[in-house]
Amino acid sequence: MQKKSKVGSWVFAILAAIGLMVALVNLFIDNMPKGEVQKVEGYKPWDKKTINLVAGLPLQDGGRIKPFSTFAGFKMLGYHGARSMKVKDDAGMVHKIKPTAWLMDTVFRPHLAIKMPTFRIDNSKVLEAIDVKQKGRRDRYSYEEIVEGREKLFQLAQSYEPIEKKKRDPEQQQTIDLAYNIRNFEALLGYFSYARIGVKLDGTGVDGAPDQRVDFSAVMSSAPGLMPELERMKSQEGKVPERLLSLLQQIEDGANYSKYGLFILPPADSSKKDWLTAGNAIMETMTLKIDQPDVAIKDIATTESAVRELANGEKAFREAMSTLIKRTSDRAKPSDIKFISLEVFYFKSDLFLRAMILFLIGSISSLAMWGLGQSRVSKLFYWVTLSSTVIAVALCVTAIVIRCIIMQRPPVGNLYDTVIFIGTTVVILSLVIEWISRNRFSIGIAPVLGTALIILARRYEVGDAGDHLDPLVAVLDSNYWLTTHVICITLGYTSGILAAMLSCGYILMRGLNLDGENKELRRSLTKAVYGCICLTVFLSLVGTVLGGIWANYSWGRFWGWDPKENGALMIVLWTLAILHARLGGIIKDWGLHLASVFTACVVAFSWWHVNFLGVGLHNYGFTAGKSTIWIFYCVMLLVLLFGFAVMLWEKYSADQKNLNPVENGELVKS
Amino acid sequence: MDNQIYTKEMPREKSFFRMLYDFLSGFALATVLLLLLLLLTWLATLEQIDHGLYATLNKYFSWKSLFLIPEINGKKIPLILPGGYYVCALLLVNMILGGVIRIRKGPKQIGNLISHFGIVFMLIAGGVAHHFEERGNMAIYPGESSNVAEDYHEYVIEVAEVKNDERDKFHIIRGNSLTDLKDGKQRRFDFKDVPFSIIVSGHLKNSQPVSVAEQAPKKGELVTDGYYLFERPADETAERNIAGAYAQVVFEDGEKSAPFILFGASYYPFTVRDGERLFTVDMHKRLWQMPFDVKLDKFKAEFHPGTSRPAEFVSDVRRIENGQEAKVRIEMNEPMRYEGFTFFQASYGPPNAKPGDEMFTVLEVVKNPSDMWPEYSLYIVAFGMLVTFLTKLIGHVLAVSKKRQNHAKKI
Repeated sequence: MQKKSKVGSWVFAILAAIGLMVALVNLFIDNMPKGEVQKVEGYKPWDKKTINLVAGLPLQDGGRIKPFSTFAGFKMLGYHGARSMKVKDDAGMVHKIKPTAWLMDTVFRPHLAIKMPTFRIDNSKVLEAIDVKQKGRRDRYSYEEIVEGREKLFQLAQSYEPIEKKKRDPEQQQTIDLAYNIRNFEALLGYFSYARIGVKLDGTGVDGAPDQRVDFSAVMSSAPGLMPELERMKSQEGKVPERLLSLLQQIEDGANYSKYGLFILPPADSSKKDWLTAGNAIMETMTLKIDQPDVAIKDIATTESAVRELANGEKAFREAMSTLIKRTSDRAKPSDIKFISLEVFYFKSDLFLRAMILFLIGSISSLAMWGLGQSRVSKLFYWVTLSSTVIAVALCVTAIVIRCIIMQRPPVGNLYDTVIFIGTTVVILSLVIEWISRNRFSIGIAPVLGTALIILARRYEVGDAGDHLDPLVAVLDSNYWLTTHVICITLGYTSGILAAMLSCGYILMRGLNLDGENKELRRSLTKAVYGCICLTVFLSLVGTVLGGIWANYSWGRFWGWDPKENGALMIVLWTLAILHARLGGIIKDWGLHLASVFTACVVAFSWWHVNFLGVGLHNYGFTAGKSTIWIFYCVMLLVLLFGFAVMLWEKYSADQKNLNPVENGELVKS
Repeated sequence: MDNQIYTKEMPREKSFFRMLYDFLSGFALATVLLLLLLLLTWLATLEQIDHGLYATLNKYFSWKSLFLIPEINGKKIPLILPGGYYVCALLLVNMILGGVIRIRKGPKQIGNLISHFGIVFMLIAGGVAHHFEERGNMAIYPGESSNVAEDYHEYVIEVAEVKNDERDKFHIIRGNSLTDLKDGKQRRFDFKDVPFSIIVSGHLKNSQPVSVAEQAPKKGELVTDGYYLFERPADETAERNIAGAYAQVVFEDGEKSAPFILFGASYYPFTVRDGERLFTVDMHKRLWQMPFDVKLDKFKAEFHPGTSRPAEFVSDVRRIENGQEAKVRIEMNEPMRYEGFTFFQASYGPPNAKPGDEMFTVLEVVKNPSDMWPEYSLYIVAFGMLVTFLTKLIGHVLAVSKKRQNHAKKI
């Protein structure tokens, strides 16, 4: 065996360092706010017990019942671009605020929430346009800092909305997004204002004393008598007293402030599915439209009590919140709230982040393993890589199983699901190949792929900021087809990606002479790639035809030339072409690996790129990651070009050797 | 001249037919065809963004399209590609010759042989569907029934005689006899028991009758009764196109009527009187009749609470045939299959229905002789591939294990 190339080793080390840097930037730095930690006057962190309690408050959002903590997590992700933020209190102490605490501040302590750096604004031109002082790129702004440009922001957003979404420039889209975020945030800030302020009874203050205030729930109790009396006054007397008009106006305002945001009140009638906001309950009771007003009045009274008790300390607040949670949970359908605690645990434990850290450790360890050759220390790194990867993949599997239990459906139903599923299965498949081939290459590539795909999942989650546990649309809601067609197709992506990555490794290894021309290793990798291509053909073909059969059941046509269907067919055609070319002797080892690298581009187009096209039944209509896909294509193209150049060089060298056998010393020997 | 002696090592000269057979059944042709199909699929995927699905499919995969020049973002790519229909046809030939006939027969190849056979069957199923499938839709309000489905794309001309205030004895001119009547081309149609013929010309795929008072014709369009047919660009969603054409009635004595406009969305048909007999001439999407009635008892559309995300669409219908009724539920992923027709829950309306409004169901009606063939072919292909894949995997694992054992023994 020849010696490894030192230059090649250095080139590889530099490439690995760049890769690691990218992973670290994504893991730590990218989500960190720029600039100084913002000071929030009067800030006092919530007690953990309080946070844990409120986290489990059930509410309806996105068509399902979820815990307060999940709702908070995605709201925070949408506004802030991360699931945590840091603030400084009066004493200069820095506090890390997680989603549940942040949303609790927003709805229960709005005077503090407006000072928190809630809004991430990537494009400073958006702020420039509304005359708000700008900070750095990707910095965070508080509501208080943006509010001075609020009116202008809404005017601009209104003027951009008629422009077709595809034709809007990023600044226009971000202006519209910020306007929506501000409106939604305001709905949350004012949600419990009815409970904080109550209703002022005009003219009840005697001798200069302020007018008395009563609870909304108290006014709601009088609705059955008050509203008919109001109608009588209107019809008989032709007017309504000013004091009564003021009271009604306050009720309407209070109800409007809490009309959106938190659908925390289950319907009193168990046959109904729609939960109510506090505003809905107030308004429907006052207009006598609700079936069981007593339930709504008690609900509002319970929320008023909880909000008011906050002034008496967190212990009292917790007791009042416990009453509210018990009240709503008892009324909710047991099947709706069955997995609330599990979901709280799922998001709190952040298993994918933990897995990613382990994958990262595995990646670093695998680099050391490869770098140290066959030494004993290298063996140690082999075991570190293996153990960290196995634990990480076990965490991923656990997370996916929990998601399945919560969603009550198979693991893949949306694009986010595909990323985590592929991330997990690609690692498992790598480990299986390692078990079969023992080439110490597949084991090393497994954590690298795991890290990359979890980074992709996290980036997609931030860009999309949507809850991917939400229920599916009617046509997709079929556990049979989700289990067969979707899993098959997604596993096809997995094996296609793995084949491509193994080939990338092969090309780099051979091109940079990192393997010392180890023919055994090369043969083993070629066999692994060939096996993966066969598996891709099998899974993609079966998955694609299963999809056709599903479409035939749903829409009456086997094939509709939908971009996603076409993408799957492209994978089938490409991998079949590779296999036929290989069997026909048109391509040899080099050809197989170069074609296999291109498989990554075909898979990326089918899996990811078709979503940007904006047509078809599988179109998700998002733009997150649009630039990433082009970077990916470019990297694959570079590897292809490099491989092609090395192949030509090797051929040229071999030809030269054959032309000059004497110079090469071959004839001298004989 | 020396006598040539052929030995085993010397290649024998192949006959033309042998060479043709080798070429048509070879791996090289299979690879090229698969790559061509891949390229066509990719380009068709991109082109449908600008031109819509129907137009793109006609360009890339219709039997009428022998060659094509792709277009991306409105720009033509200087590349002449063969039509997808012919690539598929050649692939079918290649697969039958190479994958079924020429393939080496033996236990190792049994899986591949089965897979190829399954794919041949699948391609045939696709071809049958391509040529013989019919699809349309049926919109029904609760309590109403229907036995006709409306085609999505095909506009026809219908001539009917009016008897006792009802239209009777329908004569249909199918769309494929009309679509080529452009650029001055016209065609005369005669009908049995109808005392006149019709000359049709100036067919437009997507049109709009326009009054000359509103807008003067710019391309020398024929003006009749103060109106002319304005050509609108083809819609990306082909179902939205409204066809139009000019027609002229020619009576048996050679007398011709003035030209008149037939428009696919006109409210009233054109009427022709011949003595005591009255006829209507109309253009509309083709309606096809079923041998049974479908009556909608109840339609339910449910959404996930608090969202506009559809959760469930259900049509409870009664199938009525020869006085016999059968209750059937049609919902997403659960169609009704009966007598060669398949009914799918496709849509509902009206589009802006408010809670409490009466809603109608839209059922997609499909008649496809090869309806279930792809499913059967899948079982064959999957079985064949599984056999191949497992044979290879087990063989590889056994070989590796043997090698390791030998290696261990040596040590």
